[in-house]
Amino acid sequence: MDALLERFLDAWVWPTAPDMPGAEFRLKLTRDKCLKGWELALGRALADLESDLGNTDEGWQKARALRGYAAEGVHMSIKQMSAQLLSVAIPDQERFIDLQRMRARQIWDECKHSKLHADVLLGKGWVNNERELMELAQANAQPLPAYFGLSMMFPHIHPLARAAQNYYQEAIACLGIMAALDRVDDPLVRHEHLSQRDEELMHFMEGKFQIDMYCADAETQRPVEEALGYLLHQIGGLR
Amino acid sequence: MPTLRIDHERCTECRMCYIVCREIDVNAVVVALEPLHRIEIDADLCTYPGCTACLYYCPAAGSIVEAESGRSLVPPPPELRTEV
Repeated sequence: MDALLERFLDAWVWPTAPDMPGAEFRLKLTRDKCLKGWELALGRALADLESDLGNTDEGWQKARALRGYAAEGVHMSIKQMSAQLLSVAIPDQERFIDLQRMRARQIWDECKHSKLHADVLLGKGWVNNERELMELAQANAQPLPAYFGLSMMFPHIHPLARAAQNYYQEAIACLGIMAALDRVDDPLVRHEHLSQRDEELMHFMEGKFQIDMYCADAETQRPVEEALGYLLHQIGGLR
Repeated sequence: MPTLRIDHERCTECRMCYIVCREIDVNAVVVALEPLHRIEIDADLCTYPGCTACLYYCPAAGSIVEAESGRSLVPPPPELRTEV
């Protein structure tokens, strides 16, 4: 196992609060399913970094960074996450109101990523102001399915399905950031990652807490298992 | 008994500790009435070391410390961890 993953697991995954009704379920999911996906994702992140760092062509770097603005969120987060939040059935809204509140706040957090990314584009001199990005197709087109939004998560609308997203997916984000901070020297890129590090870890912790706190029986564990199964297949290619 | 406090140099004010403490009905984490409305721990309500829940969900290393020694409890040190 890669040392970065081991460090992440030891600090944030295995430490488990006593007497949490869903903790055993979370640890089993972690051992049986998440670890495989996290190892794979970290391996891919490290390989991508290796290849990206080898490319010093500024035109390529700029084009890639502009695409990063689209990937980092406003378009995906505001539209898709808001729609997902509002699609929760009324009885579940009331029953899981704290999960709804946490998700509502996450929409803002996710939108902030694109602001951080715009900081890098401005700092590099690749755009003069953020408004210029509105004119650039590659900064606004998101070709990937949005795993945090409706296009991938449509059948997984239960508030606890999002605990699986936060736990599994945000761990991958945390590992990607750890990998980048381990390998990248560029101060602007490090600034973006350092700023996002705590926020991604916070959303991972939301998922960890929601599973530990709420997933005590088959009824509450089902949406987590279903969403995780889907994400493992869709993101990791795992079954 | 030792008590907990927030290290505001490290805390990102994400309020995970507030959510956790409220959900388990201890309610010792409060939003302070000072102008910055920062998170604080009410030592009269906090039952640490009886309860350590907030330490397991805080994402900002070093932001919850033992007030008397200043020792960081995030991530939770091995001696606080129990087998589940």
